[in-house]
Amino acid sequence: MTPARRATIEFLLDNLVWLMLIVVLIVFSLTVPRFFQFGIFANIIEQSTFVGVMAIGLAIVIISGNLDLSVESTAALAAMVTGLLFATQGIGLGIALEPAWLILPVSLAIAMLVGAAVGMANGFFVVRLGMSAFIVTLASFIWVRGLVVAISGGRSAQSLPAAIRVVGTADILGLPLLAWISVGCFVLFSFIMAKTPFGRYVTLVGGNLEATYRAGINSNRILFVSFVLAGLLAGVAGWLLAIRTSGATANLGVGMLFNAFAAVVIGGVSLKGGIGKLPGVYAGVLLLYSIHTAINLMGLPAHYTQMILGALVLAAVLLDTLKLRLREKLL
Amino acid sequence: MFAGAVLAGAMLASSAFAQDKGTIYYMVPTLLDEFQTESVNAIESFLAQVGYETVTLNADNKTDLQQSQMNDTILLDPAAIVIAPVDFNALAPAIEQAREAGIPVMVFDRQVTSTKVDFTSVAGTVEIGHVAAAEIQRLLEEKNGSVSGKVLQVLGDPGDPYTLDIQKGFEERMADHPEVEIISLPAMQWEASNAGSIVADQLLANPDIDLIFVHAAHLAVAAVASLEAAGKQPGDVLLVSSNGAPVGLDLIRQGWEQVEVEQPLYAQAAAIAMFADKVVNGEEIKPGTYNVLGLESEITIEEWGPNLKIPGAAITAENVDEPRFWGNLTPPSDPIKPVE
Repeated sequence: MTPARRATIEFLLDNLVWLMLIVVLIVFSLTVPRFFQFGIFANIIEQSTFVGVMAIGLAIVIISGNLDLSVESTAALAAMVTGLLFATQGIGLGIALEPAWLILPVSLAIAMLVGAAVGMANGFFVVRLGMSAFIVTLASFIWVRGLVVAISGGRSAQSLPAAIRVVGTADILGLPLLAWISVGCFVLFSFIMAKTPFGRYVTLVGGNLEATYRAGINSNRILFVSFVLAGLLAGVAGWLLAIRTSGATANLGVGMLFNAFAAVVIGGVSLKGGIGKLPGVYAGVLLLYSIHTAINLMGLPAHYTQMILGALVLAAVLLDTLKLRLREKLL
Repeated sequence: MFAGAVLAGAMLASSAFAQDKGTIYYMVPTLLDEFQTESVNAIESFLAQVGYETVTLNADNKTDLQQSQMNDTILLDPAAIVIAPVDFNALAPAIEQAREAGIPVMVFDRQVTSTKVDFTSVAGTVEIGHVAAAEIQRLLEEKNGSVSGKVLQVLGDPGDPYTLDIQKGFEERMADHPEVEIISLPAMQWEASNAGSIVADQLLANPDIDLIFVHAAHLAVAAVASLEAAGKQPGDVLLVSSNGAPVGLDLIRQGWEQVEVEQPLYAQAAAIAMFADKVVNGEEIKPGTYNVLGLESEITIEEWGPNLKIPGAAITAENVDEPRFWGNLTPPSDPIKPVE
C-alpha cells in the first residue's frame, strides 16, 4: 500500500463518524419531509448542547481509563440549584442581583461549583481510596438525584429572569446561542485534549497507567482532575438545561446518561481508555440528535420511537466496530 | 412549600384529636411529579384527620419496586393500603394478594379495572382527555371559525398508561372532527427538555400549528420556552395542558396557556379519607351522589368495586385564582369528616 493511499484510508477511518453523520443527514433530508431546512439543522445543534457538554466530561474520564455514571444527576442538581435560587415561580427563591446581568456569571459559577463538588467527591473515592469508579459513580448517580428530589420536595422551579433566559433565546448569525456555546466547548476542550500536556497525559494514563507512573507523570492528579472536569462540565450542562427549559423539575435530564454514553462510544472513544478524540464525540452527539429530530418529524407512533432509536444507535456502533476491523485488516 | 407547611400543621393539629385507628400505607408511584408530591401531603393530612397514621412508600416509577413494596406491606398487616399504581394492570396480582390477606385496598387517581378493589377515587384519565378535547374544540372554533386546524399533542412517556389513557380520551372525542390534524409525539420519561425539543422541531416542520396539547404542566413550561425561542408571543400558538400543577396555572396568568385540565387532587385525596372507615371496617359503600369538598361526585358500583368519580375542571384565565384548584396550593380548611 502506498503511503498516500494509506493516509487516505486512515483519514477516512478516523473520521468515519463524521461521514456517517453526513450520510445520515443526506438520507434524512431526502426521505423525511421538511427535514432539509436551516432551522432543523440549527435545532439539531442546539438540542445536542446539553448532552454534548455532558459528553465532553464523560469522554475525558473514559479516555483516562475510568467511568462516570453520575453526570446526568450532577447536571440535574446544578439545574435545580440554578432554578431554586433564581427562578421566580414554583419553589424558586427569585434572588435578584444588581445589576441584573450579574445573574449570568454568578449562576454559572454556582452551577460549576456544584458540579465540581460532585466530581471531587467521585475523584476522592476513586483515586484516593482506590474504589471502583463504576460503583462510586453509580452511587453518585443515585444519591445526587435523590438530593435533587430532597431539595425540591418533588416540586419545580420555573420562570428564570430575562437576564439569564437570553442565553436560551438569543441567536448569532441565525444559529442559537446555545449551539454556539456547545461548539465553543468542543473547540476549547478538543484543543486542551490535543495540544496541552494535560490532554496528552489523560490519553497516556488511560492507555497505560503503569507506564505513565514510571515516566514520572502524576497519574493520580490527572485522574482526579478528569473527574472534577466531568462534574464541572455536567454542572455547565445543567445550567444550560435550566436556561433552556426556564427552570428545573425533579426529573430534568432523566435519560441523558444513555445518550451521552452512546455519543461517546459512537464517537470512537474506547471504553477501555486511552483512545478517543473529542471532535468524534461531537459528531456522535450530532448523529444521535439528528436521529431524535428525524423521529420527531416523522411523527412515528409513540411506542416505536425508543425501538427505532435503539436500533439506529446499535447500527452506528456496529459500523464503528467494522471500522476497527477494517483498520486492522488494511493498515 | 407553604401548602405543605399548612397541611403539615393541619396534620399535627388533627393528630392531637385523632383516634388511633391504625396505619394505612400509601403507595405513591413517583415523587418526580408535583401532583404526586402534593398527593402525599394531602393523603397523609386527610387520613390523620380521620384517625389514621399514614406511611408513604415511593415506587420511583418502577412497577417491580411497587410490587415488592406491596409484598412487604402485606406482611406488616396494615389497616388498609392506598395505591396509585405505576402500571394499572401489573399491580393486580399484588392487590389480590393483599385482599386475600384481609387487607382492604383503595385505589387513588389511577383506575384499576382488572381486579376487584375496595374503593376507587379517581378523576378519570380518559375523562381528562374528554375535557381537554371539548376545550380544544372550543379554542379552535374561536380561532378558526370552525373546529379545524393542526394540533400538536405532546404525550408523556409512552410506557405510562396514564398518558395513553389521556390520549385515548382526547382522540376519541376528536374523531368527530376529521378537519383537525393531530400530530402526537412522546416526551420520553416525562422529561421537560424532550418536550421542548419536540415543540422546537415541529414549529419548523409544521409552522401552521394552531394549538399544542401537553399531558402535564411541567412539559408546558418547556413548550413555552421553545415558543419563546422561536420568537412567538403569548397566544400566537394556543396551549392546553393537563393535571393542574402550579406551573400550569402560572402560565395561564402569563397568557401563554389557555386551558389547564385539572385533576381534583384535594377532592380525590379527601374522598379516600372520607371512606376510609367504611373500607377498613368492611362496611357497604352505597352508590349515589356525594359532596366531596364541594364537588358533586358520584359513586357507582362497578365490576371492580365502588368507584367514586370526581369531575375534573377546565381552568382558564377567568377562574384560575379560585382556591379550589390544587395548583393554587390552598388546602381545604374544613376538617374532613368520615361518611356515616
